[in-house]
Order: sequence, then C-alpha cells, then structure tokens
Amino acid sequence: MSTTQRILPKGVSEADFDAALARFREILGADSVLTESDQLAPYTKIMMAGDDADYIPSAALLPTTTEQVQGIVRTCNEYKVPIWTISTGKNLGYGSAAPGETGQVMLDMHRMNRILDVDAEVCTALLEPGVTYQQLYDYIKKHDLKLWLDPPAPSAIAGPVGNTLDRGVGYTPYGEHFMFQCGMEVVLANGEVVRTGMGGIENSSSWQVFKWGYGPYIDGLFTQSNFGIVTKMGLWLMPEPPAYRPFLIQYQDPEDIEEIVDVLRPLRIAQIIPNAVVIVHTLWDAGTHVVRKAYYDGSDSIPREAIERIKADEGIGEWNVYAALYGTPEQIEVNWKIVEQAFGASGKAKIMYGEEAEKRGGGFEYRSALMKGDMNLQEFGLYNWRGGGGSMWFAPVSQAKGSETRDQTELAQQILGKYGFDYVAEYIVGWRDMHHVIDLLYNRQDPEETRRAHDCFAELIDEFAKRGYGLYRTNTEFMEQVAGTFGEPLREVHRTLKNALDPNGILSPGKSGIRQ
Amino acid sequence: MNLTRRQLLKNGLLLGSAVPLSLGAAWAAERGLADAPVHGPVRLYGADRSTTELGLGLRQQGWAPRYEGRLDPLALNALPAGALATGFTDEAGLVLLTSLLAGRGRILALGRHEAGRHQLLSHRGPVAAPLAVEAGSWQAALGREYARLALAGSTARHARQFTRAASEAVNARELSFLVRL
Repeated sequence: MSTTQRILPKGVSEADFDAALARFREILGADSVLTESDQLAPYTKIMMAGDDADYIPSAALLPTTTEQVQGIVRTCNEYKVPIWTISTGKNLGYGSAAPGETGQVMLDMHRMNRILDVDAEVCTALLEPGVTYQQLYDYIKKHDLKLWLDPPAPSAIAGPVGNTLDRGVGYTPYGEHFMFQCGMEVVLANGEVVRTGMGGIENSSSWQVFKWGYGPYIDGLFTQSNFGIVTKMGLWLMPEPPAYRPFLIQYQDPEDIEEIVDVLRPLRIAQIIPNAVVIVHTLWDAGTHVVRKAYYDGSDSIPREAIERIKADEGIGEWNVYAALYGTPEQIEVNWKIVEQAFGASGKAKIMYGEEAEKRGGGFEYRSALMKGDMNLQEFGLYNWRGGGGSMWFAPVSQAKGSETRDQTELAQQILGKYGFDYVAEYIVGWRDMHHVIDLLYNRQDPEETRRAHDCFAELIDEFAKRGYGLYRTNTEFMEQVAGTFGEPLREVHRTLKNALDPNGILSPGKSGIRQ
Repeated sequence: MNLTRRQLLKNGLLLGSAVPLSLGAAWAAERGLADAPVHGPVRLYGADRSTTELGLGLRQQGWAPRYEGRLDPLALNALPAGALATGFTDEAGLVLLTSLLAGRGRILALGRHEAGRHQLLSHRGPVAAPLAVEAGSWQAALGREYARLALAGSTARHARQFTRAASEAVNARELSFLVRL
C-alpha cells in the first residue's frame, strides 16, 4: 500500500502551507526544514495503541536559537500552522517524538543543546532543551565537578528540560524533577520572550537559585502544557555526597506490598531514606533482561506458576525494594541501623547491600547506577519482554500508604488479566505520594492485540479514576480521556489560559487535553 | 559512553551471540559478485547468519558492506553524515534507533520478519521484489531489495506484506533496517 498524498496541517491550505514552509526556510535555512517521508519517518514511531495514521507530521523544524523559535511562532500565527514541540524526543511510551495529531509540524529543539552555565558552588545549571543527560554528565566529569544528576530510566539519550517539563521523575534525592527546577525562558505564542522567577531582573545572579521571583509564580503553567515554548531552564544539581549505600530488600509474597509501603513511609517523610524508592514487581525486575517466551508462550496473562519459576530462577522477589542512603559514612551507619530495624521487624524482608545484593538477580546494578545519577539503558530491555513494539505507561498517583496498594494492585491485575496482559509494574514512593507505574506491553504488530491494549488502557483510566486515582502523566492517545477525569472546572481554566496566551491555538494543540 | 555500551550488551540490545566469522568466506564463495563495488560502503550490523546473508545480497547489487558487529544505536551518532547503515536488531534496538534518528537521519526502510510473514515498510517508494527463497535465502533477497531502495529517488511511503514459505525455518522475530545518517 502506497501513501503519496501530501499531509497538511489541519485547516491549512496547500498554498498557505507552502508559503509557511518558505518562511521557515528563510528563518532556519533549508537543511533545518524537513519535509520528506524518510526524514519524517523517525517522528512517526509510536508505541501507544493508536492508529499510525493519526500521528504523522507534515514537516519538522530544527531551530538552534531562541530568535529562530520566535520567528517560527510568528509565522505559525500568520498561517495558522500548528506545531508540536519536543526537546530530545525521548518521551517513549508517552508519545515518543510523534506529533499529537497528524498534520502538525514538529518543532524539534534537539539542536538547541548548549549548556549555558553550571555553577558548582550553588549547584545549579542553566540549559537549553536539547541538552541530554549524557551531555551534562560528560560536562560534569570533564570539569571534575562534584555534582550528580538525576536521570530517568532512558538516561543518556533523554534530556533534563523535556523530562522536567513533562514532570518526569528520577531515583536520587532530587527525583521529583519539577521540584528542582528554577527559572525559565519561554517564547510565548505571540513571539514575545518572558523569563520567569528572577530572570526578569537584568543582570540578576539569582535566576537559578530563587524560584519565586515577584508576583504570581508561573513556571508550572509551562509544564505538561501548551502555553509557551521553553527555550532555557534552570535546575538544581545534587552535590556529590561523601558516601553512598544502595540497598535491596526482597519480599516474597504478593500481600507484602502493604507492609513495605507502611514501613517505608515514615523513613521517607523523615528523610532517613532520602531518594525516590522503587518497589519493583517480579515481572518488571525480570523483564529488563529476560524475555517472556523463556517462561511462557501463551497470549493470555502470564500465570502465577511461571512467575514463581522466574522468582526462583532469577533470584528475584515478588517485590524488590531499591533504595539508598546518602551522606557521611557515619550518617549512613546510623541510618542503616534504623532501616534494618524497621524492615527487619516482621521477619519477612531479606535486606542486602554490597556484594550480597549484587549477587542476587534482578536490577541491582543498574538501579544502583540510577540512584547515583549514572547513565544506563537497561530498562529498554522491557521492550523485548513481549515484543512487537507496544508500550504504554499507566501511572496513577496515591498516598504512600499500604492500604492504598492492595486494591490498586488487585484492580490492575484484574483488568490487565481480562485483556490478556501482564502486570509489569512498580511503585515509586516519592515523599508523601506514590506512583503506581505499570508498563502495558503488547504486540503492536497485531491489530487485534492493539485494540485490546487500547481498551484495556481506557478501562484502567476509568476504573482507577472511579476509586480516586488519577494519572500524573499519560500518552498522547489518552490525554483527552485523562484530562476528563480531572473535572470540567479545571479544564475550563486551562481553556481560558489557552485562549488568552495562544488565541490562534498554534502551540501543541491537544497537549494534556488542552485546546481552545 | 563505556557504561552505556556495557549496559546495552548486558540487556541484549547488542543482538546476537556469535560473530559471523564465515562472513568473508560466504561472500567470497558466492559466484557472480561484482568485481568491485560500484555504489560505495554500507555499514552492516547484526551477529548471525541473517546478517551474513543480508550482506551477500548487498554485495550482489554492487554495494560494499562493512561489518560493524552488533548494533549499538548510540554509536550511529559517530558516523559521518550520509553514511548508509543496515542490519538486524531487536525491539529495544529499534526503539533506540528510530528515536535517535529524529532530525539526524533518514529511515529508508524497516522490516519485520516473523513466523508466517515479512512486513516491509519503505520510505523510498514501492517494494518491488517478494522475498522469495527460490533464488537463495530471504535475507539475501532482502539485501538486494535494500540495495535497490538505497538508490531509489522516490520518498513515498509504501508498506507491503509477504507470506513466508512454510519451508523456511523461523527461529525468532527479526527486525531489519536500512537508514542513512
């Protein structure tokens, strides 16, 4: 089947689109305006259960300066051309580098990749959106700075700006990324540039150290939103601690999740354990390096018997807690005793660190790397678990209470089981909150299985929302549905802001369900 | 990038277990190859018989495949602009590869080869030849088709599916790619 029909932005005539492209070429140079099918193909790779035909861009633009971004949005306003912005384009499982809908023009910021400042004394950085974690990591190593990063699992190839703007999380004490953001430069839809926080003060030295500035704090308006294009962002970096002890605690029974969270919560709130702790289920821990077919070849959910074989063969628990202690060696010894006492009380936990933990199966090595901000790509192995290229992250938020876990786990397993999918999941305990992250892995090459995955994800959203659990983030296929679960009054505020800031609706229409 | 490479190896992203030592021998033994490549080099990735056969098909059409071992998508960043790369990878490798090419390269063709069928997606116009096994392996036929697509002028998207012969041995799902940096 051939596709030769030209793809145009919705509501834009061919003549107007050609005129806009000519203007884009004047602004960026011809090499930075991509329109050919093979150039745009990388922007069409999606992993969610949507129709490929719904996520094809009409062009891609590759600016290198803020001034070029200003020129692009002015042109878009003139010709009513919608753009979809990506930073490094690694929002894998959330929409990847594809547009929100067919016809949108990709605004790919990856060439804006300057590290503008790293201040080792106040531990801050000012970055452009195309900077990757690997790039910043290399910079820190090259300059022998005693600073740590906090990458998400795709680490090396993802970037701090894009991940923070999508309110992603990592695994060090700086794991709640937006909490450690400070100051932005934003191109608004009218082409004007605004600097948030202290950035409006000429020659201010405090843009990256004092978040709030003066008057209403607006940085949050530019996260998970389509109200502006962030061209610079400040973030706080973690000073390298004198000592670090990653550890692993394994529990063997499905019901143990309640105890784990209840033991963990006070330790997290008191900052005895200061990092974002992950409680990884068997199938996630195994799935990063084992393929499903080695244990079960059925098209339904993997049975309990196979899970028990994986646990035995791979040395993995039903629940595998990865956490770390940071500080001086003395602090770590004191806190370690508290951790051992707390988790050892019931006699169910196997508590390990160092060589003992390394010898166990599962993900201790790569989790230890992530919890100290090192780069690795181990979690990409999950895509080989079932195969077929389908992956969608389902991530409802709850309180960090044991009582919140059992119902959630049972509900997720019941819905996933109904549609024939596996419970590949982990809980991440933030400070007082908890993300229940499930990777719905499926074979995207099978249309029937893809339809099932779509229906399954939709049911997960609705059923969790009925019980009071909303998603912290979702993929472009389900943004509208998830926005609906947060209620009409909030959506109306979003619409009002959108109309005020972007009256022509040119910036990422549909992002987080926000349109005019 | 050393740690990243180690991690890739560990989780199997750098596919395969055996380097095709017979690569040169297989190509040299093949009759009818052009005396000298006329189209230039193409980087060839993978680590099993499929890769060897793919290279054979490319050579038959006048390309000079240069074997690079298992695919490390991150290493593609170091290749010069215009470099052509092809081979086999797995799901994780494909996700990384396509993601890294956004704004940096072109996907000319992708293939999924699994039990019962081949699926080819070309961004260089129609896929012409079925991957027939009568004239050798399907991998070599794929190499010849990729050799042709690498030179094609069209940029139209074209998808085609072929039924695999029942006699073909199928070990696992294989994913092929043809990209230009």
